[in-house]
Amino acid sequence: MAAVAAAVAPTRMELLRLKQRVSLAQRGHDLLREKMDALVIEFFEVLRSIGKARAGALKQLSLAHQAMSVCSAVMGTIETRQASREAKRELEVEISTRHVMGIVVPTLEVERVERDALARGYSLHTTSSTLDEASKEFEKALGLLVKLAELEESARAIARELERTKRRVNALEYILIPRLKAALKFIEMRLDEMERENFSRLKRIKAMLEAGA
Amino acid sequence: MNVDRVLKFELSRLNVHLPERRISLKEALESAKPQVAARDGSIHTFKQEELDLLAKIVPEVDWGRLQLPILIALDPKLGRGAARITGETEVRAIGQILGKKGKGEELLIYRPEVAIVRGKLPTTTQYFFVPG
Repeated sequence: MAAVAAAVAPTRMELLRLKQRVSLAQRGHDLLREKMDALVIEFFEVLRSIGKARAGALKQLSLAHQAMSVCSAVMGTIETRQASREAKRELEVEISTRHVMGIVVPTLEVERVERDALARGYSLHTTSSTLDEASKEFEKALGLLVKLAELEESARAIARELERTKRRVNALEYILIPRLKAALKFIEMRLDEMERENFSRLKRIKAMLEAGA
Repeated sequence: MNVDRVLKFELSRLNVHLPERRISLKEALESAKPQVAARDGSIHTFKQEELDLLAKIVPEVDWGRLQLPILIALDPKLGRGAARITGETEVRAIGQILGKKGKGEELLIYRPEVAIVRGKLPTTTQYFFVPG
């Protein structure tokens, strides 16, 4: 209370100003807390999706590596490497944005990851069908990895904003609003005290005047 | 006083992600790139799969009336975790998503339901913070 007393002037003007500040801080706190709650919902939703997407991508990668092992066994490692050098890949990823409460979150959309064997670029004459199988599995995995990248970046952006908002909500809840309320209480008490002093002073003057008359 | 300025700035930024103009589901379905411009000048894109889902659950006659993004209004006066959906077609669409009867111009939903809606329609719904 002593620190508050030193910082504020106990006047009615200051009291009105402080009441406005408390109201603004309270409104800000309520809205930022709503935002924080909504961010938490978003964050957990994205985390759940990441869990699913990661499990799917890992399973697919495992299938792809199995298919690649079979391919290497059938065709031989050198031939497989040679075919992979011949293969061409240009993947068009469209990066757009979506908003989650002012946070810009990337949205990745891939046209078509999977291709037919002819479009891959290696010779069908000299390669085995196991290579086609392995390529297909890796293409599927690539699509899933793009999706996972989108989700992970979203989670990172939401987590950053969540941390920032939480800091603001806590500052309002535990520092600013209690300080303002303490100052408000101090001014109210001081004004009441001044009113009481004034009242007793007037009473005393009245008594003196009556005694004199 | 500086804190107040920061706070006012924060509050003014709460709704900058909202679109300048909403578009109907019909417009979005007809567009090659369904998107809206936000108040801060950025672009918000709708996912095609969500538009297809909405087209499936909303009758074709209402496609022109359903405004996107659907706004999930968070009003501190409603209490913590409660949200409001307004608009007849929007209420019916969200009701269908949640499997509850959506009737009238307004629908109140709660935090777990907000999570379901946002999970199914992350780009075609947006939060709207109602200033007190």
